[in-house]
Amino acid sequence: MTMCDEKNNIRNALADIVSHEYVATDQTAVFAYSRDASLFGGTDAAVVVRPGSTEEVSSIMKFAYRHDIPVVVRGGGSSIYGQPRGTPGANVLLDMTRMNRVLDIDKQAMTVSAQAGIMMGKLQQACNRAGLYIFVPAAPVHTVSLGGWLSGAAGGGGIWRETISITVVLPDGTVVTTGGGPGTNIRQRHYFSRNIGGPDFAGMFIGDGGSFGVKTEAAVRLLGLPTVTRACILEFTDLEKVLELVRRHGERINPHPFDPLLVFGPGTMELFSSGSNGEEKFTVMGLMQGHTEREMDAKKEIFNDIAESLGGTHTPELDAMTDIMAGGGEGEEKMEMFGLSFFNGLGLAAWLPFNIPRVSLPEIYPKLIAWREKRLEEAARRGFECCARFEFFTPSDQCSLSGEIDAFFKDMDSPELREFVRNMIVDYQKYTHELGLQDVYNQGIMSSLNAACWSPGFKSLYTTVKNSLDPRGILNPGLWIETRDDKKEQ
Amino acid sequence: MAEKKKALKQVSRSIYSCRTCGQCGSKVTDEVPYVCPVREITPGFDHFYARGKIVIARGLLEGLVEPSRELAEVVYTCTLCGNCMTQCGAIDRDTGEPLVDTIGIVEAMRSDFLDEHPEWVDPEYRGLLSATGQYDNPWGLPRSVKQKWAKKLNVPHALEHPSETLLFVGCTIASNPALYPRAVRAVEILQKAGVAPAMLGKDEPCCGSVQKRIGAAGQAREMMKKNIQLLNETGCKTIITLCAGCANALKNDYSLGAEKLQPEVLHIVELLARLLKYGKLQPAEKKTKKVVYHDPCHLGRHMGVYDAPRDVLNALPGIELIERSATRQNTICCGAGGGMRLFASGNLAQEMGQRALESTSQTEAEALISACPFCEMNFEAASKASNSPIAVYDIIDLVHDAVF
Repeated sequence: MTMCDEKNNIRNALADIVSHEYVATDQTAVFAYSRDASLFGGTDAAVVVRPGSTEEVSSIMKFAYRHDIPVVVRGGGSSIYGQPRGTPGANVLLDMTRMNRVLDIDKQAMTVSAQAGIMMGKLQQACNRAGLYIFVPAAPVHTVSLGGWLSGAAGGGGIWRETISITVVLPDGTVVTTGGGPGTNIRQRHYFSRNIGGPDFAGMFIGDGGSFGVKTEAAVRLLGLPTVTRACILEFTDLEKVLELVRRHGERINPHPFDPLLVFGPGTMELFSSGSNGEEKFTVMGLMQGHTEREMDAKKEIFNDIAESLGGTHTPELDAMTDIMAGGGEGEEKMEMFGLSFFNGLGLAAWLPFNIPRVSLPEIYPKLIAWREKRLEEAARRGFECCARFEFFTPSDQCSLSGEIDAFFKDMDSPELREFVRNMIVDYQKYTHELGLQDVYNQGIMSSLNAACWSPGFKSLYTTVKNSLDPRGILNPGLWIETRDDKKEQ
Repeated sequence: MAEKKKALKQVSRSIYSCRTCGQCGSKVTDEVPYVCPVREITPGFDHFYARGKIVIARGLLEGLVEPSRELAEVVYTCTLCGNCMTQCGAIDRDTGEPLVDTIGIVEAMRSDFLDEHPEWVDPEYRGLLSATGQYDNPWGLPRSVKQKWAKKLNVPHALEHPSETLLFVGCTIASNPALYPRAVRAVEILQKAGVAPAMLGKDEPCCGSVQKRIGAAGQAREMMKKNIQLLNETGCKTIITLCAGCANALKNDYSLGAEKLQPEVLHIVELLARLLKYGKLQPAEKKTKKVVYHDPCHLGRHMGVYDAPRDVLNALPGIELIERSATRQNTICCGAGGGMRLFASGNLAQEMGQRALESTSQTEAEALISACPFCEMNFEAASKASNSPIAVYDIIDLVHDAVF
């Protein structure tokens, strides 16, 4: 059988499952999936299929499992580290974005269940219309799917805490719904808990990068939609004082979902305010989101008191910005100041994120900045113009911080620059690993970079689970470690 | 040998500025029910919306994708409505312009197809270009047809009896008898307000908009250059267009070359708003109607004319304007833009029109009002096909009813 015959057979079999119109094999359609939001590329697929239901995904996986066909899963295509490579040219790519329906919003129980291909922005809109709010940290909500978030970035996004149940299609086509609620092993018509009646299998699938199964549906806890926002923005000259403010903030309140605190590094504010003098100052923005004016005013007063007692100062420019931010309201995703449009306009991005214990920041942060500056000096020597720096960090919880020290470049159409930035991103990750940091993204190249740091025991556990669920290594081959190739070598 | 991918190379900065994040296809908010009308009515693969098209454009530049008949279809499956650019929102910090000019990229891909592989371009488009060359009218009708609408009116020829105001009717209205009343009513309204427009009749050229949209950049450029000379010769101070496409071309595209158009260009809604504001027209209540205004992409997103049509409607007694959630810069394309009425026998355009009509049906409106003959024709077809109770009018109809 020729490769062409083989591709036709796969196409016909998939068309029988999802109908002909949702299967594409021509070069034009397939090539469009060869890129994503990263510099590392998308998937080189033979066939792209857009399933519409869990049952269709199950049938596709059964077919792929039977015929040993590699399957790569794609949500919003917004990963900054690329997609799984799979087996280039032979992959069946599941484009999950047709599975974009909200299945149920339970206003009494305050939960939402939705298909996994839905974009977080659309899901948020549906929840907001019901007067509810799904916690989505400041992130590109319009390009991140629920399934992609759970697979690839849930660890950094906080949504893992709110996730109650996930419906997963295993590599052999078996459908399993984790947690407690409809369709699970707990006979309860409301979703309520994910680790009751057995191990927390939902947790096993969160952050797996899509390695253990295809997420098709999920149920997530909701909160009441915050309608009142207050903001405080102050300048600090001393990083230690900033961290003390972060500690005291976290001591009295969990910053997420409603009271995020963002710290911008020196120079970043110039991007927002031409009046900034570029001095070595940190700018701290505290947001208070909630349901009553009285509560938010009290929170603002307390935050201001703490910040001012630590030497934070107000300026007219920051006060003006405070007013704008206070008018934002209704959740962090409405803060257009940090929207994707803003970052897209800055130039070609070297995304340099970090996740760090709060207490380690004073020691590590200067090292990260120094590392970046050294690379930017090299960039300048090679004629690449860095046009913007974006430095910020935010407490993820009481003990950890996540942030970025990104650099943006002009001349996006230079292949040499793109190569430079790709290397910069990879080298930065390797450097942060040396410092004991791990990124929360579990997609594309990041999976193998993170897996390189695994202990023998952790690697053994992963391999055991992966080989049990996916003995032929057909699902997202090459993610984390090469189980498919390992098997072939055996 | 002619340079390959010439047009695409000219927009490479725009192509490489795209971060391929996908916001252009997946954004949903209260004001944006969906971004891409094409993606909505097709199976939704990436190549049906902006991100996929830009990835393909990049592949063409880098020699990773070969032109094909299938690719030509993809390139022509776009209304050029520009909602993807609006929802992308990324701004070039140096110029203040949109960072990724998706419309320019798609037009460039079309241009390269027409130059290098015309055999793969839908024959309807090639027919349109050939008709333009022969008759200076994409509808392929003789020049004499263009003055038929004015047969019973006293409208002087602009070259023989110069006037400060030139009515630029546009090929679509002047070539379709069903749309003649639009031009007739426009003249009657203007005359009632004391404006004495002249016209060019059989000498009125095609503005070149549709040719540019479907990729005949060179042909459009030549037409525009010639037209600038003719329009300047009329000595008029203001050109009033009835078609949003003509208005956008005359205002935006004509300013790109070395030759400059002297007269001010206004779409008729802009003039009507002024006439009503200064009391030159006295509208009376004839009927009460709840209406929705559909912002034509050319007039709204491409020209920024949002308030004038609303000012006009709000000035008409008995007319109650209802806003849909997707309005102004977030308007959903009627489906007829970018030459889509010619593509696939107009079926896709009609389906897009039906989707756009649905949002009107969800309001209490009895009628959908537009200010563009393409929108009107496509909505009419969509309304008929779906047995929609929503009536479709041009804004000129309502003003005419109110002042006569």
